Amino acid sequence: MSDDILLSVEDLQVHFKTDGGIVRAVDGVSFQLRRGETLGIVGESGSGKSVTCNAIMRLIPTPPGRIAGGRVMFEGRDLLKVSQKQLLALRGNEISMIFQDPMSSLNPFLKVSRQLTEVLELHQKMSGTRARKVALDMLEMVGIPDPSRRFDQYPHQFSGGMRQRVMIAMALLCKPKLLIADEPTTALDVTIQAQILELIRDLKEKVGTSVILVTHDLGVVAGMAREILVMYAGKVAEYAAARPLFKTPAHPYTDGLLKSVPRVDETEHTRLQSIRGLPPIVTKLPPGCPFRPRCDYATDVCGETYPERRGFGAAHYAHCHNPLQREGDQPPAAAHAAEEAVE
Amino acid sequence: MSTAPPAVVPKPLLVVDNLQMHFPIYKGALLRREVARVRAVDGVSFEVMPGETLGLVGESGCGKSTTGRALLQLHRPTAGTVTFDGTELTALKTDKALFPFRRHMQMIFQDPYACLNPRMTVGDIIAEPLVTHRLCATKAEKQGRVQELMVKCGLNPQYVRRYPHEFSGGQRQRIGIARALATNPRFIVCDEPISALDVSIQAQIMNLLQDLQKDMGLTYLFIAHDLAAVRHISDRIAVMYLGKIVEIADFASLYADPRHPYTQALISAVPIPDPDVESTRNRVVLEGDVPSPINPPTGCRFHTRCPARQQHPEIADRCVREDPALRGDAHRVACHLYDIREPVAAPA
Repeated sequence: MSDDILLSVEDLQVHFKTDGGIVRAVDGVSFQLRRGETLGIVGESGSGKSVTCNAIMRLIPTPPGRIAGGRVMFEGRDLLKVSQKQLLALRGNEISMIFQDPMSSLNPFLKVSRQLTEVLELHQKMSGTRARKVALDMLEMVGIPDPSRRFDQYPHQFSGGMRQRVMIAMALLCKPKLLIADEPTTALDVTIQAQILELIRDLKEKVGTSVILVTHDLGVVAGMAREILVMYAGKVAEYAAARPLFKTPAHPYTDGLLKSVPRVDETEHTRLQSIRGLPPIVTKLPPGCPFRPRCDYATDVCGETYPERRGFGAAHYAHCHNPLQREGDQPPAAAHAAEEAVE
Repeated sequence: MSTAPPAVVPKPLLVVDNLQMHFPIYKGALLRREVARVRAVDGVSFEVMPGETLGLVGESGCGKSTTGRALLQLHRPTAGTVTFDGTELTALKTDKALFPFRRHMQMIFQDPYACLNPRMTVGDIIAEPLVTHRLCATKAEKQGRVQELMVKCGLNPQYVRRYPHEFSGGQRQRIGIARALATNPRFIVCDEPISALDVSIQAQIMNLLQDLQKDMGLTYLFIAHDLAAVRHISDRIAVMYLGKIVEIADFASLYADPRHPYTQALISAVPIPDPDVESTRNRVVLEGDVPSPINPPTGCRFHTRCPARQQHPEIADRCVREDPALRGDAHRVACHLYDIREPVAAPA
């Protein structure tokens, strides 16, 4: 593995035991994240995008959940195998996570200052006064006005956007190598969303963190991510760099998603091409390709076997029997793609 | 739009004039007194023409949903008038007097999980308005009508005896739409009807709403925070900020030539699913949060966050003192920048 790759997820399997049987919430997901890059994970509810992130952090509640297989290689270590002690040293220090709802991730009984300095005292063994100073600087860096006054307030005294800034400040305190942002702007208004995305972009430059950005909003990943993973029913549908994914999608699901969202820059009223049918019920997945019941391109083979991965040029692949692009259109030039082929 | 020679001026279906909706805040248990007011809607005027869709956009807390509810008299407005098809609804003081109008004005709600009674079957939910308004003489007629509505909204009529929990979010929203259509209404307030749904389902529901409009000649007030969706479905769009309309225009002209600095910021903040466009866009990133509607800023309510005000010192003082009126003919905007005989250069 080259030093360029920070995180490599290989054939990740996460199962949940439910009354309706075993749900394969994540089923064979693989991807790589290079240093300093942003990877977008796109999918609808139940596609397994959040579970994938939680599994990287080993935050799957067990039982009912279980990481049933795969490897999560982070700087040469398999996060799924490290001891609990090592894991605690990694979480919040080298890998941080921000969640959709900042209110439920902050402790309502503790002042913001306490919640921030705790991280530094624990991971960086800083003294109280030094931690306060570093935390206050970080609060200023994420754009909280009047940080010294706000520092000793409680989370409920902050607005939604400000709370998300506090979460980001907390996540970045130890200058982590990896930041996992799980729908960080879904609960926020568009103007606040623009502020938070700008902040993540900006801090990524300053701190040099790699980012996994999970969202259902294709517009958000278009502006943020260099590479994008599209998930459907716990599986990878397509993986590509942003441009080929949006311009020449290979998987009919990606294509359908792109056609079904209205754009703020469209010039006339057109009819949206919706994806027919309903999102899959994860306990009752059909055999073969999970997207088959909704797919306009489905053939008999789609109902029989799950499609193998097919490549469409450098670091662009999809799991589809009837892809919309010709296979291997471009030579797999990048070492990145070659490496994937070996694995 | 072509203008017919004998100038038949179409009459608006709904006229809203200076609508205000204030919610008092009380303090004290024994000596209860009003200590403040949330000015959720504070002087909103607009018209909705028959058959059109008026989009109402704004961020959370701007009063868009309250406006929708006040139109239907679900909240009794503090002041102002709402006139529906020539009748002033705000003058009808009792629920009994309002009752005959209710069947003509319906609502589709945001949360398809909360707006359906979990103990009622889908058939009963859709039939309830028919029963309330005594629109079906016989049981068979009622059942027939329910079936017809389910088919119309893309639901399998065999599921008539099922309960809401057996359906997905998108299907529940279809049930909500079927219920709203049951009384053959003329006007429907769609309050964020797609924001709780998955991306692939949002398009289905928007298409359904458009088809139904064409089919039944419906008039919509489409309330949403998603500017792309509002643009897609609306003929005209009103932008709200802190209880007031700051700009109202034809959808094409609003997006091609947004005039109010807030509208400009709002549109530029919407991400576009195209990496090439995203990498070249100029974003206006607003600073700070929306102020509280309990104690809104003086003058123009946007002045605390307005990027244009900083660039135009000649109006900066006026923005703090004076509340700008909504001016213009087809494209109306409430901003001092456009209220000068010699128009100043539009903000970049």
